[in-house]
Amino acid sequence: MTEQPVEAIQHTVERWTSRSLKFGVSLSGGVMVFGLILFAAQSFSTPLPQHNPTMSEILRNLTSGSINPFTLMYAGLILLMLTPFLRVLTAVAGFAAEKDKKFVLVSLAVFFFLMVELLYSLYR
Amino acid sequence: MTLWSFLILLLGGVATGTIGALLGLGGGVFLIPFLVFVFNLPMHQAIATSIVAVIATSSAGAAMNIERQTVNIRLGMLLEIATVLGAILGGLTANYLSNYTLTKIFAALLLIVSVVMIRRNRGSNKHEIVFQDGILGGSFVEGTSGETVTYTVKRVPALLAVSVVAGNISGLLGVGGGIFKVPAMHIISALPMKAAAATSNFMIGVTAAASAFIYFSHGHLNPLVGSTAALGVLAGSFLGVKLSRTIKSKALIWIFAAVLLFISVELFMR
Repeated sequence: MTEQPVEAIQHTVERWTSRSLKFGVSLSGGVMVFGLILFAAQSFSTPLPQHNPTMSEILRNLTSGSINPFTLMYAGLILLMLTPFLRVLTAVAGFAAEKDKKFVLVSLAVFFFLMVELLYSLYR
Repeated sequence: MTLWSFLILLLGGVATGTIGALLGLGGGVFLIPFLVFVFNLPMHQAIATSIVAVIATSSAGAAMNIERQTVNIRLGMLLEIATVLGAILGGLTANYLSNYTLTKIFAALLLIVSVVMIRRNRGSNKHEIVFQDGILGGSFVEGTSGETVTYTVKRVPALLAVSVVAGNISGLLGVGGGIFKVPAMHIISALPMKAAAATSNFMIGVTAAASAFIYFSHGHLNPLVGSTAALGVLAGSFLGVKLSRTIKSKALIWIFAAVLLFISVELFMR
């Protein structure tokens, strides 16, 4: 009776990490497919944007109500690129739940470097 | 983009993803030449597309491998510090290199990959030796025999050094870098092949993400090409994993090593 909970705690990081990856891939894939379907529905004729939008422009376009297929594709791609970030954050939480301080720090270090790259790209 | 070019791109993604999975490589080494030769995409755009495809296949594959308990998550997280740093440097460097230089470096990489494939194919399947006196141990159940394989990891500092290089190649050229990491984990650190391949695949997504936003912010990510190719490669990688259970890949490795060698020469001549 006592063995099951211990086992469950030991595999927390594995379960959470696996779920975060599936969630990220499904969500981003779904948004990309929706964008491609919209593009096909418009007879493959929607012109590509003149310049690559920034992340805030994509967010603004998404919330403006007029959905463009390329905005959806960009949103899907960004969600996909953010999936590994989510996976690392989930690992931080998983290791914390397992009380493995050393690997909480290791995961935080990976997350820190990823954030440096993200912030550099946003504000370059 | 016409309906035909869209379909060619989607099917090309499926084909490169299938071949990559069949050979135990990411789709990148095949996807990039496909985009350069068939769609005439500049090298930076082809690399950016490959990076998002690599994130998709790695994330989906890692989720499955974690459930099978073949991934050594602690080792993967530790090595990711090195691969992420290498990838950021690679991504930054790539944006200072010309299309011409990047093409030649990619051609050199293909040459090395084809040689590694041939060498690996010629080697015999020796019985794996695992050590119990290392650190970051793990265990998994061997699918065919049902045996539990328990192992530990030796020479972690050397593995960290290899990971910086693999990460750098990933950021610079948009490939996963597993072709270097998997043999290093197996040979230097005595990880069983299955654990090495699964742990390498687990790390590839985070490594690719470490340069993805750099390419995005430089305007190299085409949304239509990126989405279509990523979805195609993802579907292809699932198909490749299924096919790999029935197709014996020894002859395939010879064929595709020759294909890579040919592509490498073509890219050198460009």
